[in-house]
Amino acid sequence: MRLLPLVLLLTTWQLASSSGLLPKSVLPPFADVASILGKLLASGEIFPHTAASLARAGAGFLIAVVGGVALGLLMARVRAVQRAIEPILLLIYPVPKTALIPLFMIWLGIGDFSKVTVIALACLLPVVVATFNGARSVDDMLLWSARARGTSERRLLWRVVLPAALPQIAAGVRTAIAIAIIVLVSSEFISAETGLGYLIFSYGGVGADDAMLAVVIYLAVLGYLLDRFYLAGLRRLMSWHAFAH
Amino acid sequence: MLYLVGGFLKPTSGSIRLHGRPITGPGPDRGIVFQRYSLFPWLTVRGNIGYGLQEKGVPRKERSRIVDEHVRLVHLEGFEDRYPRELSGGMQQRVALAQTLACQPEILLMDEPFGALDAQTRRLLQDELRRIWRRDTKTVLFVTHDVEEAVALGTRIVVMSARPGRIKEVLTRGFDVSDGDEFETIPEFSALKLRIWKSVKEEVEAVRA
Repeated sequence: MRLLPLVLLLTTWQLASSSGLLPKSVLPPFADVASILGKLLASGEIFPHTAASLARAGAGFLIAVVGGVALGLLMARVRAVQRAIEPILLLIYPVPKTALIPLFMIWLGIGDFSKVTVIALACLLPVVVATFNGARSVDDMLLWSARARGTSERRLLWRVVLPAALPQIAAGVRTAIAIAIIVLVSSEFISAETGLGYLIFSYGGVGADDAMLAVVIYLAVLGYLLDRFYLAGLRRLMSWHAFAH
Repeated sequence: MLYLVGGFLKPTSGSIRLHGRPITGPGPDRGIVFQRYSLFPWLTVRGNIGYGLQEKGVPRKERSRIVDEHVRLVHLEGFEDRYPRELSGGMQQRVALAQTLACQPEILLMDEPFGALDAQTRRLLQDELRRIWRRDTKTVLFVTHDVEEAVALGTRIVVMSARPGRIKEVLTRGFDVSDGDEFETIPEFSALKLRIWKSVKEEVEAVRA
């Protein structure tokens, strides 16, 4: 039932192609795209590229989560850090991080290092902002209660502020997963010999639109599954919180 | 006033001493029960009750024993592994009371702890608090807007004036309120209730005028 809108969309796509309403040069039929995706999976050709992409995205994402939570907590607890960092963050936030890829390549080389750096930077922002907001909006009652039960100011951060901010942090991390995939693909468009972005770019370059779309669909499914796994994991680990989704 | 003794606020003048030592900040010697929403949502009933003990560094085994004892004290057997969001308001306040008592405070500070509960639950928790107070004979500083609650629980009742909040009068309850419901029929109970209500009413009307 949940898949109904998707099935409708794909059926419309296929019907538009087979009826000649949508020429092949504009959009290849869904059946062609699906069969190529089947071949890519069956031959195993797509898997090394998936592994390369996941390694880059995963590295950038992990750096962003660890760094973002630490920075967000620090900003929330230390006024001076907030004053120093907040204007920079707010300036960087609306900048499309993909536009910085060429610059990072000049600074850090054209290898994986620059790609991981761009992904980490792009993922960092939603995590920092979510952590900061979460840590700042901790209910005074909880802080008072902890202090009255013997928690020192230093320990307050670990015992109360971090766990209380976790639901918001979790939401920021979820955004970062999607951003990691978006920036990953863009970074692989430029100077890569492996990865799903590289595949999309190289198929597109030789006019193999059906193969290009096959990889795009594969990426969409991959991103969807990552999000589902993440949410399922959260529900298990944070069963104390009533999630809205 | 409660928050001054709790050490959350600083007095504008004068000082507050507990056993001769001035109060400089919050501490586990003064246990506080808030109106509501003071439990840690990420900890179970067991985790919440044991929180203060863990902060004090009480070893796991000893902690577990004290927690079990306090779970029984507030009649929450079977709910040890539930999270606060899975409990009713009355149960949450019972956990908060157990959490505070488990720290063995010298004074118990209670800020309208039953104010947000329905009338029946409030009555039952008042009985439980009185029973626990009799057992421990600890000093309890209890803030309430409910005159009946004040008479049913307090041995010394302090009426505060409306803005600025100063002590208006201090009354001593001259009769005993036993654990049963018989106190309802004691004539002195109704008389004291009426006496205090009149005093409070003056303040309410003074603000309104």
